[in-house]
Amino acid sequence: MNRVKPSAPIQKALEKFADALDGRLRAHLNSCVHCGLCAEVCHYYQVTKDDADMPATKVEQLSRVFKRYRTLAGRIIPRWIGADNFDQKAVEEMLDVVFGRCTMCGRCALHCSIGVDIPFLVRTSRSMLVELGLVPPGLQSTVDAAVQTGNNMAIPREELVDTLEWLEEELRIDVEDENARIPLDQRGAKVLYTLNPREPKFFPLSISAISKIFHAAGESWTISTNVYDVTNYAYFSGGDDEARTLTRRLFDETLNLEAETLALAECGHGYRAIRWEGPDWIEKRYPFKVISIIELLADYIRSGKIRVDSSRNEKPVTLHDPCNLVRNGGVMQEQRYVLTNVAKHFIEMVPNRENNYCCGGGGGQLSMGEYKERRIAAGRVKADQICKTGAKIVATPCHNCIDQLMELNQVYKLDVEIKTIAEIAADAVLL
Amino acid sequence: MDLARWICAGGTAVFILSAFYQVMLVTLRGKNDEWSAARGSVREGMIYSLTGAMAPWKKETAFLHLPTYGAGIVYHIGSFVAFGWLAIHCFGIGIPAWIRIISIAVFLASVVSGAGILLKRFINPRLQKLSVPDDYFSNGLVTGFQIVSLLVLLRKVETQVLFFYAGLLFLYIPVGKLRHVIFFFIARLYLGRYYGKRGIWPPSRNRA
Repeated sequence: MNRVKPSAPIQKALEKFADALDGRLRAHLNSCVHCGLCAEVCHYYQVTKDDADMPATKVEQLSRVFKRYRTLAGRIIPRWIGADNFDQKAVEEMLDVVFGRCTMCGRCALHCSIGVDIPFLVRTSRSMLVELGLVPPGLQSTVDAAVQTGNNMAIPREELVDTLEWLEEELRIDVEDENARIPLDQRGAKVLYTLNPREPKFFPLSISAISKIFHAAGESWTISTNVYDVTNYAYFSGGDDEARTLTRRLFDETLNLEAETLALAECGHGYRAIRWEGPDWIEKRYPFKVISIIELLADYIRSGKIRVDSSRNEKPVTLHDPCNLVRNGGVMQEQRYVLTNVAKHFIEMVPNRENNYCCGGGGGQLSMGEYKERRIAAGRVKADQICKTGAKIVATPCHNCIDQLMELNQVYKLDVEIKTIAEIAADAVLL
Repeated sequence: MDLARWICAGGTAVFILSAFYQVMLVTLRGKNDEWSAARGSVREGMIYSLTGAMAPWKKETAFLHLPTYGAGIVYHIGSFVAFGWLAIHCFGIGIPAWIRIISIAVFLASVVSGAGILLKRFINPRLQKLSVPDDYFSNGLVTGFQIVSLLVLLRKVETQVLFFYAGLLFLYIPVGKLRHVIFFFIARLYLGRYYGKRGIWPPSRNRA
């Protein structure tokens, strides 16, 4: 095999890879034995039966590059060990596989017979494609909007403030208290609450719900109108520099407002990006507490700060576990605690918790229109799971999951309502 | 020392040096990911990764593919027994007859398992697509090692043949997929660290 000298951009991508090649990455790249047993673990493969959807194929995208450029055998006998040049063809295949056939949900890693951290390899591959400027345009524009405007939907500050002021008026009517507030930019509040920009734009009821809960709990809280976006799509795109920028802004704003706790809105990847990856991106420990709003909600119920009546939610409720909050975030029990307290009939999906199936909306898939058909097809696994529960409401603490589940609801005619946990809890709150 | 023993010793030395170098690379050059506050226990996660998480009922890759999984386990047991016997032959350790008989039974089962896995790789379209020459060769090489070990126990072949074969096997391990003998445990420890720190493993923690 001729070793073609890589072009300048490809060389840059290879340098990015070399830079990322630490012990953990090297260990995982050396471990796949091509047993192929991982195929059925993936929701994409379950539906398509396409070899390109096998988790092992996703590993191959990067491991063949590793073997070719970073091992002696790969330089001498590349074909024998499956090493390959990182050329145009390899780049195109990598792009299709790591962006178009994977949500980085991590179910494959949990079940891999060896223990290869496949989503970690997929994200590293995506970060190489960032260097080539090949992030799918819809996903990249979401990242760009967040970096340039401060939120991924490019909502002007005035519009956000208008929306929140309107919601504050609604809250006063709802709780029948003239003093009820949605405090904005309040320095020294105990809790700084973030928003998913989809909430002020399309789902204001989510903000109403959480405001009602904060009011009932008598919490000292605030929303920053400058830095409030809980999402970090650069986690999905592989753009480490952008991910770092977005994390640093939220970090600085929490310090600026002197909050004790940064409470993250119901957003799976936002939780993962800020709680787990963020400190590594900015190479700093957080001097404040970072929690999911679900954890705070569970704490309010447990401590008696809010009182709830489950009979106000009569319809059977099931729970979809967002992969980044649960399998990759560790928040598993709190949402169950909340739902069993605020709903009369709670039904678990099977499998659940860390073994749950991805809904298909993760990994930035909702921003990548070119892969929509695959996304909807792969969602069939989740649709089947929902059907089997017989539930009338699907609760999930993630707006990406909500968007995907709403689409699945239509396509697969599930006839269910899709809600956040806070929305269900707010209905059960006793004032 | 005869030539076969020299080859065996040389192959072993190359393997050990290579393994040492690789282990240094994957452990000393570990990324500093200590910045986030732990939710669970790294130590418990790592222990669970090498114990409970390996249970067949915990992995879909195992319980959805029990014949292949079972064959794989038997095959790996056969490999470790073969390495054990290699050491026994090398150092001339006396072994009771009953252990010899059990070992022969293990080798018979593991050779059948290894051959079965190899056959599956040849005939299964999904595996064909995933496989490279090294996958077939490595499987055949290890199965061959078990066959030679078996024949030595049955006194059909001289131990020199086993030493020679083992030397070649040791030389090949760092080249291809057999390297997973070095990386398997390290990859699992990294995975256990990841899930442990986040409070996902062991599951008893996240169900409390």
